[in-house]
Amino acid sequence: MLRVTISIIALLAACSTPVLANSLIGPGPRAGIAKSRISASPAGEWNKLSLSGGKNVEVWTLDGDSLNKVTFFGGIAAGQPLLRERDKKNSPLPKVASNMLVTDIPTLLETTYRSQYAVNQMAIDTQAPAQLGGHAGIRFTYNFTKSDDVRRKGEAFGAMVNGQLYLVAYEAPQIYFFDKDIEKFRTLATSIKL
Amino acid sequence: MKTANCVRAAVLAASLCVSAPAIAQEKTGNKEGFSLKPGTVRIVLMRPVVDVGEQSTGGMFEPNADWTTQARGYLATALGQAQSKLGNVVVEYSDQSTGDGPLVTQYSHLFNSVADSVIEYQFFPGNRLPTKKRGKSFEWGMGDGLSRLTSLKGADYALFISTHDEYGSTGRKVLQIVGMLGGVGVTSGVHQGYAGLVDLKTGELVWLNADRQMGGDVRTLEGAQKRVTQLLEGFPGRPVEVAAAGN
Repeated sequence: MLRVTISIIALLAACSTPVLANSLIGPGPRAGIAKSRISASPAGEWNKLSLSGGKNVEVWTLDGDSLNKVTFFGGIAAGQPLLRERDKKNSPLPKVASNMLVTDIPTLLETTYRSQYAVNQMAIDTQAPAQLGGHAGIRFTYNFTKSDDVRRKGEAFGAMVNGQLYLVAYEAPQIYFFDKDIEKFRTLATSIKL
Repeated sequence: MKTANCVRAAVLAASLCVSAPAIAQEKTGNKEGFSLKPGTVRIVLMRPVVDVGEQSTGGMFEPNADWTTQARGYLATALGQAQSKLGNVVVEYSDQSTGDGPLVTQYSHLFNSVADSVIEYQFFPGNRLPTKKRGKSFEWGMGDGLSRLTSLKGADYALFISTHDEYGSTGRKVLQIVGMLGGVGVTSGVHQGYAGLVDLKTGELVWLNADRQMGGDVRTLEGAQKRVTQLLEGFPGRPVEVAAAGN
């Protein structure tokens, strides 16, 4: 009976949605992104969403996170998942390991999405060495389809710094939206400092 | 006794939860300055996206193929009855053996995402994106790719329709009652309907009517007719007297 009671309380808590305001990100230098050492200098305006999905996660968008989404993962420590786990028992998320190679980052993201978002389909398309904030890392592209049946493309830059994972990813529907804002993302990613 | 204590504890705990305040939300929007005169344009009614199922106790959607098939049939009938009363020529989408079908289906799903974004970040004032707050701007679209589709040649606008219905399971209804006792608003059932008009030359969304709690049980013809009436409320270019008679 106690279990039933706890379940009811958890469900009720989940049903009450907090109302928080989103904020404007103006052009120019900005530090402490995702409560971490990430700083960047966006060339134009973005919106920072009030809900992020994790302690060291920050989401920026132009038209809403289902249409264009930049996610900053700021120094995810070893033993931690990329996103806040919704259901640890039934859908546990993979954890960051301090000895991870940068080539493990795409798989970590894919496994996380498959578990957290129940994606119908996901594939890593390309991987290449790249710099993130002056650190050796990886640039990779991918595509996926969630339950809304919209095909989305993604591009991300990741690096391991002092055993922590830094990752910035851009995702948008394949039709129109991805191409519309990809250059803004690349400019933003290039401006990142760690 | 033990059971009664547990229920009491649940109600007490529930009463401590803070529920979202009810904030008035807009349900329709249109591009600033947009208007449509009756008898001036050709509109293509895209294949509606219809999903019907059950809402589990935890709020998960469980699709029901039979209900979805029923709803598709009834909504198609109701839309067929309504399309001649919209003030302009409205024709059903036909692939015309162009091979455009799969891409058009993708556009229908994309429309859903755009409509979701408009509801979340424009119609809901407390959650509006700062860059979308300026003036009376209603700037949403899907790009001009639709203008290049052979199967849409000769048309001026595309009318996208989508409905998503989740009927509350017994467990969900029980949770709703427990929540009610504790002063926490728990919804049982989701009945969302979106109708949007897209300018085929520019890809701009020029009119949207979207609500996440629409009326009409789409598993019946009468309910589907009620839903379609709600979906097309305020449709641009619709003669006033016809609109009034249709309600």
